[in-house]
Amino acid sequence: MQTFKPVLLEAVGIPDGYTLASYKSRGGYAPLERILAQKKPLDVVDMVKASGLRGRGGAGFSTGLKWTFLPKDHPGPIYLCINADESEPGTFNNRILMEDDPHQMIEGTILSAFATRASTAYIYLRYEYPQSWDRLQGAIDEAYAAGYLGNNIRGSGFSLNIYLHRGAAAYICGEETGLIESLEGKRAWPRIKPPFPAVEGLFQKPTVVNNVETMACVAQIARRGVDWFRSIGVPSDPNNPRDPGSYGPKLYCLSGHVEKPGCYEAPLGLTVRQLIDHFGGGVWKGRKAKAAIPGGISMGLFTEAEFDTPLDFAGPGRVGCLGLGTAAVVVLDETVSMVDFLHNSCRFFAHESCGQCTPCREGTSWSLRLLERIKAGKGRLKDLELLLEIGNTMGMMPGSTICGLADGAAWPIKNAIQKFRSEFEDFIRKTNPLGWMVTDPVPALQIISAH
Amino acid sequence: MIASNRNPNRILTDPMLEKIEALAPRYPNRRALTLPALHIVNDVLRHVPLEAVAEVAAVLGLAPADVQDTLSFYGFFHQEQPAGRVRAWVCRSISCALRGGEEVLETICHAAGIQPGGTTADGSITIESAECLGACDFAPCMLANKDLHKNLTPETAVAFLQSVRGRPE
Amino acid sequence: MPTVFVDGKEIEIGADQRLNCIEAARLAGAEIPHYCWHPGLSVVASCRMCLIETGSRDAATGKVSMVPKLVPACQTPVKDGTVIVTESALVKESRARVEEALLIDHPIDCPICDKAGECLLQDYHFQHGQAERRADIHPFTSRRRDVGPTVTLFVDRCVMCTRCVRFAREVSGTSELMVINRGTKEEIDFFPGHPLANKLSGNVVDLCPVGALGDKDFLYQQRVWFLKREDNVCGGCATGCSIHTEHNQDTVYRLKPRENAHVNKWWICDEGRYGWHHLHDQSRLLEATRRLPANGKALAESVVIEWAEVVTRLRSDLKSANRLAVAVSPMLTVEEAWMLCAIARSIDPQAFLAVGYIPETEADESFPGGFTIRAEKCPNRLGVEAVIAAFDASVHHWEDLLVHVAAGNASAAWITAAYPSSSAVQPWIDAKTAALFSGLECLVVQDFFNSPLADLAVWRLPAAGFAERAGTWVNAAHRAQSFGQAIRPPAGVWPEGRLFWNMLGRRGLYDPIAVRQQIAESSATFAALAGEMPATGVDLRLPQLA
Repeated sequence: MQTFKPVLLEAVGIPDGYTLASYKSRGGYAPLERILAQKKPLDVVDMVKASGLRGRGGAGFSTGLKWTFLPKDHPGPIYLCINADESEPGTFNNRILMEDDPHQMIEGTILSAFATRASTAYIYLRYEYPQSWDRLQGAIDEAYAAGYLGNNIRGSGFSLNIYLHRGAAAYICGEETGLIESLEGKRAWPRIKPPFPAVEGLFQKPTVVNNVETMACVAQIARRGVDWFRSIGVPSDPNNPRDPGSYGPKLYCLSGHVEKPGCYEAPLGLTVRQLIDHFGGGVWKGRKAKAAIPGGISMGLFTEAEFDTPLDFAGPGRVGCLGLGTAAVVVLDETVSMVDFLHNSCRFFAHESCGQCTPCREGTSWSLRLLERIKAGKGRLKDLELLLEIGNTMGMMPGSTICGLADGAAWPIKNAIQKFRSEFEDFIRKTNPLGWMVTDPVPALQIISAH
Repeated sequence: MIASNRNPNRILTDPMLEKIEALAPRYPNRRALTLPALHIVNDVLRHVPLEAVAEVAAVLGLAPADVQDTLSFYGFFHQEQPAGRVRAWVCRSISCALRGGEEVLETICHAAGIQPGGTTADGSITIESAECLGACDFAPCMLANKDLHKNLTPETAVAFLQSVRGRPE
Repeated sequence: MPTVFVDGKEIEIGADQRLNCIEAARLAGAEIPHYCWHPGLSVVASCRMCLIETGSRDAATGKVSMVPKLVPACQTPVKDGTVIVTESALVKESRARVEEALLIDHPIDCPICDKAGECLLQDYHFQHGQAERRADIHPFTSRRRDVGPTVTLFVDRCVMCTRCVRFAREVSGTSELMVINRGTKEEIDFFPGHPLANKLSGNVVDLCPVGALGDKDFLYQQRVWFLKREDNVCGGCATGCSIHTEHNQDTVYRLKPRENAHVNKWWICDEGRYGWHHLHDQSRLLEATRRLPANGKALAESVVIEWAEVVTRLRSDLKSANRLAVAVSPMLTVEEAWMLCAIARSIDPQAFLAVGYIPETEADESFPGGFTIRAEKCPNRLGVEAVIAAFDASVHHWEDLLVHVAAGNASAAWITAAYPSSSAVQPWIDAKTAALFSGLECLVVQDFFNSPLADLAVWRLPAAGFAERAGTWVNAAHRAQSFGQAIRPPAGVWPEGRLFWNMLGRRGLYDPIAVRQQIAESSATFAALAGEMPATGVDLRLPQLA
């Protein structure tokens, strides 16, 4: 396959690539100056819509379309929130973008704020990225000093402030309304929708929440053009009018059992096999792969046989995964026990569930306890039916929960048990020889303390 | 609105209050200062005791329960006593677990003589498990204060622990 | 008129009505189960018990298109053509799962839980839950934590509906309650040193759908299925909250607010909620007694008089003293006030009628959710004033009566009081004021507790408590609410209404409705009292606008 010359990652490896000087030397901020001088906000919206850019944070919603949901003549203020809470296991591309090329993201942010008429942009940055904090703050300071932020930027009449806001290690702050609640100073319980953030978001004002990589793409679209962006990736299916295509370059994170874990840039549509072989140096230690997470743990699992599925917005869904997610691929080799994998996943989601709605709060906790019992050698075959039921019923898709964390918790359960059923059954039979077949209801409970 | 109450037992120092007020123009209301204020206190004290929560609430014009509600959601802020001078987070999410993260955690905790989440008696280090630190390219990894420790092995983890212990206070 | 379809039934709703699916379904007789939604609080849609299927029906084609997933009924507004399905297999399974999820960590200690019998977790389990337990998780704890002086929390019974937290934030505006931690470790708690101690605290117990929040006043006192419930009105202040008096065998066990959109919505203040203990106070006056002044100043021993004799003897005592002054207590009902004035004027056509003493605190207290506790600590001042206005051109008040008596213009005084002191040792009148009445030939005091005034009285008559009365009160907003007698008073007590009815020579049992009808016919102010009184009362000013 052709090697794609990095665009989003062009600063990686360049000494002081994160500085304003370096960014400008590579063509940065010129698009911003041009657009501020010659274009209107709606022009930028149209540009991003035309590019086919879909959000890189996990949901894959058309970015330009999302921007059009803002009310047309709102007196303001309108807020732009950059979701830098990147916490999806396996994902680290935002970190690299922020550490190595913060100005790219900032230029994208300023352009997006101009398009959406936002007057303030908050970058909600996860606590665990201290170097990103330092780099971003440095870049923001440079941008103010150069007149790219603040009042009346470059005489355009457009004013913008960008503020860093630090998180405190909660995954759910990556959910857009969880982020908003956290920014407002409350517990990060996602909001019920409607109203949607574009109508009533941060501080009850119209708000757009965009991902870091999406902002980087906006900067590159402004620099290199819509046609360039659309020349990369997977075009929309001509037979399916509802398919928006998967355009542009994508940062793929590769980790787990490969020789060269890392963040690699390639057109959307790369496959897991290509990622491992071409970029990742192959499965480590000369072993074979057994499975792979396609896009962050929430998306579920590919079996090795499914490794040729294109990693674009449509591909993973065809093999029963939740979607492309963050395109973070984690490879599991043949020695990995799927029971251990699923236990790790359930533990993650039980820890991160915000606890607001019943099916997720109790479902994530219950599935963890089931996995712990199975791991401890007390599992029953009927536990697998129960796990599948939990997996099939909790989530935004059936409508039983407020946000998509539950779907993310459910998909690994469904995929792991459906695609590796015999392994689970063997494990249960082997570790619980006397009890794996039990189907009796649980006897009455004992209360151990009264008050 | 710097608290004019010169209570000598006050926990929020003037520099802390100044830092909080400096952020106030960024937000349209004071409730949004909650998390930044908690970080400002935590950065200095390595914990946010209940008294500090009450003071933050008073400064921001909120009920103490509202601030505590937010604080306790994150499971991040120690309250009863300060975290160690080094706060070490060992990642236990899938990418690190696949490359030995659990062994690293167990080894370093055992060497430190504490359970995950605990702090050594000399106050030098707290070791906690973290969920995906976003450094899967360097799994298994650990964030110790602001330093990311990459590609850990049980041996390098213990060596790090010893270096922490040897540090002057 | 917009039409909504609920389980195949057509329901018309008002063009201006803003209803969610729960409210619309109720109109069709379908009760959608829910924990976290409450009409008086913000919508959070977090319990997920109210998930239903919805869709819309095209008015032109009749075609129904259903939303492909479940939606919460509480956050879905209805409009013309909305289709609601509450009993499909999908909905039933969803409810069963939510119920199952809530029961996983629940201690299920119903045998020792106050809420048994009125618990939604119990009710929904039987109506919507699964027969078998599939979770293999035990043992449980059932921890108890007081969250304030009047409310206690059984932590592990909580289903995280957050109604209590939202109440403290939105209605009382005091924000004492909080959620702590995340996920299944979440609990309700309060900040140390800042317990739940606002004047509306008790409402969180009503709101709690399960046995997590308990009312310390009621805890372990009575099983709810033994309680009988009567519609009543609180007598604590001029707000006049609609209440239910819940009692067993003439013992009150608790008061609960009764929903009244015009008065108290769903709430009651703590003083009203717990303001029934005086009914069973051992020191209340329990007999009608009379003592004749001996020669000189000292009063003779008092003698218990049978009520039948009170009816005649009281009248003759007052007649012979003549020059009567009457304090019509704002604790009395409109009917009782009317009868008392009629009796007074039949004894002495010049009888001085005055509104009785009005207990008052400094100021009204309003809460963000719209609730107000009135400074005027009596339920019927407006009603009594309007009654006296029907008899006299100008209405006298307690201060005028004091002046009248001090000036020697009365030889007899009938002071109706019936004030339930919230603390038993604080009488409503002090010795100095009482002394103004010491020169009277015949002083009648009709009160709940003893007082310096009662000590000077010839006739000491026991008064009824609010739950022992039947009649009508008019609150500060001119709303007249009628109520029946909830419990019988102690054996030796005739409620004022019964005494007055007999003193007027009426036959049979005291019939407040008949008196009300008579009042409505005689006084334009009370025209609205004619006919059947709605449970939520009636605004007295409305007929005058017609």
